Amino acid sequence: MIRFFRWFCDPDLVEDLEGDMIELYEERYQLNAAKAKTLLVWEILLLFRPGIIKNFEGHKNLNNYGMIKNYLKSAWRSFMKYKTFSAINIFSLTIGMAACMVIFLFIKDERSFDAFHDKKDKIYRLCEVQSFPGTNTQNVALSMSGMGPTMTTEFPEIETYTRFWNWGSQLLELDEKKISIENVAGVDSSFFEIFNYPLILGDPSEVVDDPLDAVVSENVAIKLFNRKEVVGETFVLDGDQCIIRGVMENIPENSHLQFNIVLNIKSAALDNPNFDNQFNSNFLNTYFVLNEEADLKNMAERYPDYLSRNTGREDVNERYKLFLQPLQDVHLASMDIEHDYNNHRKFNGTYIDVFILVGIFILIIASLNFMNLTTARASNRAKEVGVRKTIGAIKGQLFNQFILESIMLSIMALIFAFVLTLIALPFLNVLIERQLTLQAIITDPQLVSIVVGISLILGILAGIYPSIYLSSFRPVVVLKGFKSYEKRSLFRSSLIIVQFSLALGMIIATLVVIQQLNFMKNKDIGFTTDHILLLDMNQQTREKYDEMKQAFLNESNILGVTGSGQRLGNNFHQWGFKVKYDTGIARVTPSNVFVDHDYLDVYGIKLLQGRTFSKEYSSDEGLSFIINESFAKELGFDDPIGQKAGHSWYPNDSLGTIIGVTEDFNFNSLHYKVNTLSMVVHTDWGFSEMSIKLNGNNIQQGVKDVERIYDQFVTDYPIDYKFLDSHFDELYKSDVQMGAVISIIAGLSIFIGCMGLFGLASISIQRRIKEVGIRKVMGASVNELVTLLSKNFTVMILVSFLIATPITYLFISGWLENFAFRIEVNPLIFLVGGMIALVIALITISFHVIKAARSNPVNSLKYE
Amino acid sequence: MSKVSIGEFEEIVMLTVAVLYKDAYGVAIKKDLEKRSKRKVSLGSMRTALKRLEKKGLLTSEFGEITAVRGGKRKRYFKVTPYGKKVLEQVMETRRRLWDAIPEIAFDI
Repeated sequence: MIRFFRWFCDPDLVEDLEGDMIELYEERYQLNAAKAKTLLVWEILLLFRPGIIKNFEGHKNLNNYGMIKNYLKSAWRSFMKYKTFSAINIFSLTIGMAACMVIFLFIKDERSFDAFHDKKDKIYRLCEVQSFPGTNTQNVALSMSGMGPTMTTEFPEIETYTRFWNWGSQLLELDEKKISIENVAGVDSSFFEIFNYPLILGDPSEVVDDPLDAVVSENVAIKLFNRKEVVGETFVLDGDQCIIRGVMENIPENSHLQFNIVLNIKSAALDNPNFDNQFNSNFLNTYFVLNEEADLKNMAERYPDYLSRNTGREDVNERYKLFLQPLQDVHLASMDIEHDYNNHRKFNGTYIDVFILVGIFILIIASLNFMNLTTARASNRAKEVGVRKTIGAIKGQLFNQFILESIMLSIMALIFAFVLTLIALPFLNVLIERQLTLQAIITDPQLVSIVVGISLILGILAGIYPSIYLSSFRPVVVLKGFKSYEKRSLFRSSLIIVQFSLALGMIIATLVVIQQLNFMKNKDIGFTTDHILLLDMNQQTREKYDEMKQAFLNESNILGVTGSGQRLGNNFHQWGFKVKYDTGIARVTPSNVFVDHDYLDVYGIKLLQGRTFSKEYSSDEGLSFIINESFAKELGFDDPIGQKAGHSWYPNDSLGTIIGVTEDFNFNSLHYKVNTLSMVVHTDWGFSEMSIKLNGNNIQQGVKDVERIYDQFVTDYPIDYKFLDSHFDELYKSDVQMGAVISIIAGLSIFIGCMGLFGLASISIQRRIKEVGIRKVMGASVNELVTLLSKNFTVMILVSFLIATPITYLFISGWLENFAFRIEVNPLIFLVGGMIALVIALITISFHVIKAARSNPVNSLKYE
Repeated sequence: MSKVSIGEFEEIVMLTVAVLYKDAYGVAIKKDLEKRSKRKVSLGSMRTALKRLEKKGLLTSEFGEITAVRGGKRKRYFKVTPYGKKVLEQVMETRRRLWDAIPEIAFDI
């Protein structure tokens, strides 16, 4: 501490002050040793003040502090002298940096998914490529219950496996209480050793070892028992008594698996000894841990052999191909995977690349702006350069000076950017439904240094050209009267062109994205999604389905009630289907859904041929099928109505009949083509969801009626409902969020571009003010002058339009490939985008142009 | 008006230096100041004030002899210069005149 004092203290004062301090210290030391020490430190800190601190300029000729101080001073002066320019300069950089920071935070958040597992590099999810006859080929995240155990024994590369079987909402019985808990799942005993979901209580290696062992999350523990230490407690699930062996922390938001309770998977297969060797259907997720030597390609070659030996099906390799998906791809690279039910907040990873690109773009635009304005403003600093050179500054020194200035500006911009991000984040979080915080950057020293480093580099890069330009002035020329060193700068124009090309590209892209999103929102998907309330079914509602339906229908605000086995908006499960041709029985695998008789009426699905289900025909229970147009085409009958068909497990001699064909409707999201579909009525199977159509004029009353009637019938389960249109909105969330980000960035980049243009216009018009004056004296009208002055800028915008168009077209049609149902790219869009940019640009410069054109020529000419 | 103006704190410091006369060095000034004005004074603020006054020419200073107690560091003794004395007198004179100018009833509120 004393050494620190000696370092900073003025050498004139050092001796006696130190003496004073030691004297005081010794005196206090007698009284209280510890206190004396802290007081000494405190005193030294108090001494660190102007007046005591030595003058660092003092050591003359030993360093350049003085010179640098002067640089900073002159930078500050020129900054204050041209406030508008400097503000534009800094502000555009600030916006660019802030946008990048937000994008960075967003990407960091998305990338953090599943990153907390120690074995994350070795964990893989088992997926299948299914190519069933009569349906589209699809990638599926589900697998069979026998695959995990048997593959682990057959493939030496696989260290362990765990399965994850989501049982959805379950009713837990606790003494007299019945509590419904969402996201209950079955897993294998290795689950907590493979995934690092932290346990508060319990040993990860044995918490779910035996059937009926359970681990609950903190929240569930509190909900069930009002405390966290619940190990050893029991609850009843499905008639079985389960024991809680462990308590886990609540599953973090950035985990693709979400669950509140996990049980040993065998709990659901107590009377099924064959569970580990079963290959009939795909209904759970399987995860493997591979060892270091594992070679995915090599393993893939052995899958067909494995499948044919284990599944006992001859055609299995024609229908199934297995592949392993790395854990880190699950969140961001699963857009092409269907039946992906356990993938929380799945996001389209290619959008991450788009965001990175867009972030780089806006930084480029901002730094080009910076370069351009600094260079254009050169004439203001020309005299300074001249004087400095005359006094003896060499080129290198001047170069350093201007680089230093530009670094200073970029650091200032960085500070503002932090503030701006801090202010903007809460609003953005609402818009994109995230919880991003700046803490993610600030608390990580490595990131802070990267951010600061980037802005330093940015400052240097953006400063290089202006510095070279400025430092190369020749003093004689400059000092003689640097009026117009005016060769039209090709370089500067091309900078503007690059800026505007990028901004234009983004504007056009935004327009197309918005169009596509609107298209998806408004496309007639073949059934109604408005005012339909989806009510989750449970044991009690299943038992009382008919009575409840009747009670609902008695309400005036409820227009229709129907049941179904699956929710619209996903691909439906695919089951085997048999069709009888003259030549024999054919097996196909369309999507299937079982529904109530009035399903088509409630959803307004249009029939092309035949009739809808009706209670008047007893055969409509399980033996009548309504197929969609695609399926009818696939089957190839001249008249599909009346053809014999049935589920794959129906005996060949007792098949049902196809009674109707519907229009193709988009039961899956619009990313996918319409699959072949067969609908059938099975009221005895128990629907999983009731669809209730409400009167659109009185939705609130309708919802109240639903709740009231539900409470009359159901005592054990809380009501759980959702509106169909909000469910559909979720399907396109990823796309909508990307659209929002792109539009914001596009807006910002055109804004930055315009700020640059504004500054530039003011400079270049300033230079031509005499020309304008003379022309005006000669008789030019205001209109002519405006046209003359705007011409340059218009040409630049046109050139950028020509550059931006083809590149944007390529990009945007690539994006549209993501959608099976998409708009055509309309050339008009490009024109509209171009026009928007042109109009905005012209408005921006018009301020200066009109001012110049209308000014009195006397003012501009009288100084000559 | 090329009069040197001094602040209230500076004035007190100077007066204390004058009071202590031969013994006016850092710690002594600090202690005396704290005792008389009943307020805490940090070494730093006092030392800056002393430095400022010296620069203005109101005080002079010289090092004393080396003693063993202070870690071998010399004391710096301060003295009020004649010019300093004049300034102090001026300050007092101004105050006095102001006091005299106050009508008696001004405080009888």
